[in-house]
Amino acid sequence: MVDLEKLRTVARETISRDDVKYLIGWRQGTYGFRVSPCFIKEPGEAEQLIFSPLCTNNLASYLIVMEKLPLPRGEQPDTRKVAVMVKGCDSRAVVQQLIEQGTKREELYIIGCPCEGVLDLKKVEAKFPHILDPVTVQWGKDKIIFQLPEGVEEVPREEVLAQKCLDCRDPNPVIADITLGEGVQAWGNGEYQDVQELEAKGAEERWSFWEDKFNSCIRCYSCRNVCPMCYCKDCVLDRLNPSWVYRSSNVSENTAFHLSRAFHLAGRCVECGECERVCPVDIPLMKLNKKLAKEVEEKYGYRPGLDPEAKPLQSSYRPDDKEDFIL
Amino acid sequence: MERMKIGKEKFGDFLTALDKQLYAPQKVGETLRFVPVTPENKLDLEFSNTTVPPKSVLFPQVETLYQYELGKTDLNLPDGGEERVLVGVRPCDARAMAIVDNLFSWDIDDPYYLAKREKTTVIGLACSEPGMNCFCTSVGGGPASTEGLDLLLTDLGEVFLLQSLTEKGKRLCQEAEGTLEQATEEEVTSAEKLHQEAAGKIVRNIDTGGISEKLPELWDSSLWQDVSEACLGCGTCTFLCPTCHCFDIQDEAEGLEGRRCRVWDSCMFSEYTLHASGHNPRPTRRERTRNRVNHKYSYFVTKFERTACVGCGRCINLCPVNIDILNILAEVIKEAI
Repeated sequence: MVDLEKLRTVARETISRDDVKYLIGWRQGTYGFRVSPCFIKEPGEAEQLIFSPLCTNNLASYLIVMEKLPLPRGEQPDTRKVAVMVKGCDSRAVVQQLIEQGTKREELYIIGCPCEGVLDLKKVEAKFPHILDPVTVQWGKDKIIFQLPEGVEEVPREEVLAQKCLDCRDPNPVIADITLGEGVQAWGNGEYQDVQELEAKGAEERWSFWEDKFNSCIRCYSCRNVCPMCYCKDCVLDRLNPSWVYRSSNVSENTAFHLSRAFHLAGRCVECGECERVCPVDIPLMKLNKKLAKEVEEKYGYRPGLDPEAKPLQSSYRPDDKEDFIL
Repeated sequence: MERMKIGKEKFGDFLTALDKQLYAPQKVGETLRFVPVTPENKLDLEFSNTTVPPKSVLFPQVETLYQYELGKTDLNLPDGGEERVLVGVRPCDARAMAIVDNLFSWDIDDPYYLAKREKTTVIGLACSEPGMNCFCTSVGGGPASTEGLDLLLTDLGEVFLLQSLTEKGKRLCQEAEGTLEQATEEEVTSAEKLHQEAAGKIVRNIDTGGISEKLPELWDSSLWQDVSEACLGCGTCTFLCPTCHCFDIQDEAEGLEGRRCRVWDSCMFSEYTLHASGHNPRPTRRERTRNRVNHKYSYFVTKFERTACVGCGRCINLCPVNIDILNILAEVIKEAI
């Protein structure tokens, strides 16, 4: 468990360093169970920081989403580091970004937070509806403790944690300059159970499952924008000349969109589950990503985001790579 | 005003008697949106609000403007479509239609929108259990607001109280006269009581008075940086906003046939204001967030004398990073003093 006082002290020290421009962390949101990513620039602001089961956002996304304005003539770029708080999954995203040279190690100061799992807000808000006052939530032993306005409620973790956390094999940060608290036990078994359930169905049944989901997509691109691994400056989906995917939202184009994205994430997705969390129309996108992760793991024994020295799957070749599945 | 009532068991007969294409909240994938009612899908009016607002019927996400075929000179233009009835529209979303009407009939009449609007009758459903982030009462609406509606239903348990509000509404009642009864005094009173109680259940409130004048003064304020830092630049807040109405025009071709269509666009996308030269006058999410708020609470007010927000709470509920419009407005008020 990460001690809040320790976290804030470390944050204050970090932001006081001359070589750090800001620190990205989590703070309590505007109501109920919501949390917002925040950008700490002054030591005094460190008091806002929290780390709890509410901290769902993958902060590694903010390392690549920043829009840089052209520098005014004569001005030097700010080369100070960005400090970022990371859970296990966030740290895997950082590692994968580093492997792909999307970010540079010397530009980061990483504060690792061993994570016992974050909440699925859909489950929580259904269980405790209509709560306006910001709620404090803590990890307990095998349970989650909610300090609700009407009193303390303890809920078994399986009932409220995000599925990606129940399946998590690497809850501890795999890269950090400083790690807060003790490491936690991993509990995921890596069995890809939900993927297997879908695989067991016939092609027609699978397609009718996805057709329904893709039909409801509104192409808001929140899944793409939140993804820590989606950082092309010029996204193929935004191209107009030629238009590889039409802007029209319909089953055909939406399917093309989601499948393109899933394939681009093969061997890269760190399974942080952000795409599925942010989807306003509840498309189970992690089933697609996990299907590809499963293929990659089975065929190449490769799991992305674990080793900063590893090469990206799709730009590495080993003489002993399996070939038996190649036609 | 004439108040009628209809037994819930007869409501299906009422709608059948209208003999028009019905649109009602139905589950598509995992979410509710307004889609045509077919005999297979049941009408279910037990819902808080739809994820996708009913604007998707009058201003669809994708709308064909014309179709063409190479080698032929005539274009196929769509007509306004069939007569339709939207059933179960929440009062906030109906007000949004009245707001968007201003835009689509402003300098040039938009024939696509207006033709559909003309052929559409809107049956509203008063709210009895407002959602967590509903704030309609702060922006001039209410759980039983009637603007933009032709008929308003209030759920009284066994029956719906039915208020006819316009000529279109009256015509609808005449077409299905056999299913309606005169409402009693008590029923009218209990509906009014329900409306008041519902308004009392709205927990999020803000005084929006004077915001349209305050916003231009805060153009360069640091608050825009602060409130937009967490923004991911996705289109959830705008696509699902019942008053957002921006579109982009696209050409889509396949073989010798093609169409020009318009698709929803979002001022939160980086390429929304990207010029052909490569210059972008709204280069970061700071400028885009500022635009979204200013457009709703200032520019629209200047042009049409009303706020382009109905307090449905969708942008707050669905923002993945908790950018909360009420919080932004509170900051604006604080800063302007």
